[in-house]
Amino acid sequence: MQDAQSPGELERLLTEHGRDLMRTAALLAGSRQDGEDLLQAALERLLRRGRRLDNPEGYLRRTLYNLAADGWRRQGAWRRKLVVIGASEPAREADVTAAVDLRDALIQILRMLPPQQRTVIVLRYWEQLSEAETATALGCSQGTVKSAASRGLRRMRELASPWLNATIER
Amino acid sequence: MNTGFEELVRDSMERFTEDLRVPADLAGKAHGAHQRRRRFAGTAVVALGTAAVTTAAVIAAAVPRTGGVTNAQTTAYVIKRVQNALAAENFVIQGQATSTITVSIHGRRVTSDNGPTMSWSYGDRSRFVEFTGNDCRHALSDGSCTHRGGSQLYLANGTALIGGTLTGAYVTYFDHKYSLYPVGQTGVKACSRTAQLGLGAPSVTMPNWPAFIKAMLGCGEATVTGHARIGGVEATVISGSIDVPLPKGYARTVRETRDRVRYTLYVDSTTYLPVRAYGSDETYGGAGGPTTSVSVTNVQWLPPTTANIAKALVTIPAGYTQVSSPAQQ
Repeated sequence: MQDAQSPGELERLLTEHGRDLMRTAALLAGSRQDGEDLLQAALERLLRRGRRLDNPEGYLRRTLYNLAADGWRRQGAWRRKLVVIGASEPAREADVTAAVDLRDALIQILRMLPPQQRTVIVLRYWEQLSEAETATALGCSQGTVKSAASRGLRRMRELASPWLNATIER
Repeated sequence: MNTGFEELVRDSMERFTEDLRVPADLAGKAHGAHQRRRRFAGTAVVALGTAAVTTAAVIAAAVPRTGGVTNAQTTAYVIKRVQNALAAENFVIQGQATSTITVSIHGRRVTSDNGPTMSWSYGDRSRFVEFTGNDCRHALSDGSCTHRGGSQLYLANGTALIGGTLTGAYVTYFDHKYSLYPVGQTGVKACSRTAQLGLGAPSVTMPNWPAFIKAMLGCGEATVTGHARIGGVEATVISGSIDVPLPKGYARTVRETRDRVRYTLYVDSTTYLPVRAYGSDETYGGAGGPTTSVSVTNVQWLPPTTANIAKALVTIPAGYTQVSSPAQQ
């Protein structure tokens, strides 16, 4: 049992696991700034618990996943979506930056996915959780995870096709 | 990770986050926000939607601590927060309830306490357990009781994993029997008569607490009525009352015509998660004399550890005999 509510313990938790949590939060939220806000929101939830936890890091992770899957900052996500939709397509002529562009594009496309699909993709392909572990973390069935991952990846592929083609042409 | 595209996605994530660090003041910011929220919760308490609701602006407003009906916007705001909290949290919900029933026998009102109950729910999984109370728990044909005295397991109802499949299970401990049944829809159809009648006795109708509470609040009958301290927690009080005609068959049996249900939900003013539910159900309007049941359920939100999740499953004790339906138990 750890008293994650004390300032010192929170600092220690962030020193040990903060970078991993921050990276996950940024992916779930779609940007660094929103990732910071998301992680801060999860930390506040931890503080609000007001009691000792066996695994505060696990609690923080689950809170991040669930806040993200629940469409945390839905309106903000929609605004970002509009920005991404309006973003210019890749240059028709392939150049040396195409591969880099593709990776940037994939992150932008990840942001465009519905919250649940985005969360499942991050848990499966970043956190490397199995379908069963992802389902447990999100409190849904394995079938939901499988379907969200499949639809999310298919959508990402579709949206990334201009960049993918440009990379292949190169 | 078994395709090139999936590896590309993973690689993109790695690249996007490789130089990320936790801001130095993040813990401090979280503590500051937490302290501000606590101070806010202790004084202002409930946000009130203003006329400029289209801009989603909300202004804090004090709510009377004892009674007093606030306006519909406040109620809608609080209920939305509760529903969001229920949807966002990933906890095993534990309810501990006590209840009494008072019946009319030849003009006399007789009260008996039902056995205390415990319940757990997690996603589609649920377990409801009733312990014996102080009265006869189950009358046999010779008039004797299966149990007297408290704290013995009496029955369990909920879901069990049978051959890896989630299945409804009903276990009676006094006769060492169990029956299985298909798991039906766990969601409660909001505002149906069944849901409305269930509001008065949450301790026995909580196969899925979040859905139940959501349905209960979604009926449009609930109102924010004030504040209370529950176990040291500042709580917002949401109350409702429903009056419905009894189904004809039941009305004939109890010789009453209507059923009045009252419920009160106490939600943590900070997290908006329910901490206590109170329900009462009373028949009236006929010659039979009222039958009244009252229950109080204290709610805890447990982290979804393997051990806690296991609490939301019924296990069939070894050696118990399977019968074809709960009616045979």
